[in-house]
Amino acid sequence: MRLAIVTTYPPGSGSLNEYAYHIIQAFRHKPEINEIILLVDQLPAGEAYPTTEPAGGAPIRIIPCWRFNALDNAARIVAAVRRVRPDIVLFNIQFASFGRGKIPGALGLMAPALTQAAGFPTVALLHNIMETVDLKQAGFASHPLVERIIRTFGTLLTRVLLRADLVALTIPRYVEILADKYRAQNVLLAPHGAFDDVPEPSFDLPDGPLQIMAFGKFGTYKRVETMIEAFKLLATPDRPPLELVIAGTDSPNAAGYLESMRQQYADVANIRFTGYVAESDVPRIFGEAAVVVFPYTSTTGSSGVLHQAGSFGRAVVLPRLGDLADLVEEEGYSGEYFIPDDPSSFADAIARVIDHPERRYDIGMRNYQAARGLPITEVADWYILHFQELLKSKRQLAQKPATAPR
Amino acid sequence: MALTIFEEGTTTVLHLEGRFDAHAAPQLTDWLKSHITAPAHIIINMAKVNFIDSTALAALITGLKRCRQLDGDLYLCNLPDTVRVIFELTRFNKAFLIFLNETDARTAFETY
Repeated sequence: MRLAIVTTYPPGSGSLNEYAYHIIQAFRHKPEINEIILLVDQLPAGEAYPTTEPAGGAPIRIIPCWRFNALDNAARIVAAVRRVRPDIVLFNIQFASFGRGKIPGALGLMAPALTQAAGFPTVALLHNIMETVDLKQAGFASHPLVERIIRTFGTLLTRVLLRADLVALTIPRYVEILADKYRAQNVLLAPHGAFDDVPEPSFDLPDGPLQIMAFGKFGTYKRVETMIEAFKLLATPDRPPLELVIAGTDSPNAAGYLESMRQQYADVANIRFTGYVAESDVPRIFGEAAVVVFPYTSTTGSSGVLHQAGSFGRAVVLPRLGDLADLVEEEGYSGEYFIPDDPSSFADAIARVIDHPERRYDIGMRNYQAARGLPITEVADWYILHFQELLKSKRQLAQKPATAPR
Repeated sequence: MALTIFEEGTTTVLHLEGRFDAHAAPQLTDWLKSHITAPAHIIINMAKVNFIDSTALAALITGLKRCRQLDGDLYLCNLPDTVRVIFELTRFNKAFLIFLNETDARTAFETY
């Protein structure tokens, strides 16, 4: 299969260049791909695309054929596609890929519809959709009327983009929005993919007491009282020594909270308040923890701390709050759960982890796998399967006998 | 996840049960790597799968590729609604042959 990819590419500094690099490297090493032709933007004077690629894999040909902010990018891209005649054209784009200005940006986005109309099987990987772009933040709309006009054009433009044979999106909600609003049948979810294989963390613990660790900014919805009461219940003579590590600072909205907790629980042994944790110390803090606990009293969804705990292969203990458990499980994470504001339930949940090393390892490994995500090399296989199905359906369509004239 | 294997003539039927996720996917991948031989006729019955994630889908895609390389195919059957939705979202309902039940999938292999 000869694959043309319309994209930015390093050393070009356009958005999505890094993503392009990684997915192209993944495509190169797939036996189904014979050649990759990159239809890229022209670089400023003095810069050049690489002329050689790392050894192994399908060859790459780089053809600079469009220019950021130019008005004729769609025509240039179609002309380049006609010249190289690939089996498939993949666009790696977002709404501002072809220009900072509204007009060049919009005109460039006509390219997928035009390559499709020219008879080349076309797949657009769209990294954002107009419906979810904050136009003010993006600098596109300073006035509500301007915003409304842009959104109307955005809707039209999305309809044009949907003329591609397939439109791949990286977030399930994007697929649902396009399927619902535009009744699009050709949209699909393809995960973003993880660039690097995160090395498997060590599940060994340091010598000394087993550390129960909470991480974050405390005092608003992250409160340590119930957790400390639970810790007191856990610190029994029949259990190895334990240490409660409260890693982080006060929330900006709760100045003085941790100091007041330190004073209130001064009589409880083996509590360590780390204060601010520098980025370089984060791996050590998580790596030394036997379990990461979430002393939350409310939540608005999943948590960045959960992702960090997963990256370091840590078991977690979470409150059974709203649909948090469902969200956590849907994202592939696992943990033990406690009833909020119930020290005994909290202590039992922690005990189920620290008293059972196998359970601790199982949860930690599951969380590591969830945090690692799907490697981009596997995402490339998803695309190749869609390419193959698209080519098959085009072939079948071409072989279909034309309806006899009446 | 529990994986039960039934050999039926030239067709192998795998019954999956439970969460089919990043934790469970290697179990299927390892089995497929070490057991598939040409012609690879594999049916995966997903009636008792209550959850599927992207890593599990990737394992199925790897299996599909391998089966097709070995002059065969990998059919799916009995998809519960929660799993079917994911196949529709990713459009893999177009890439895999999916049957309502195991009998239909077996019949399809008989005429393969």
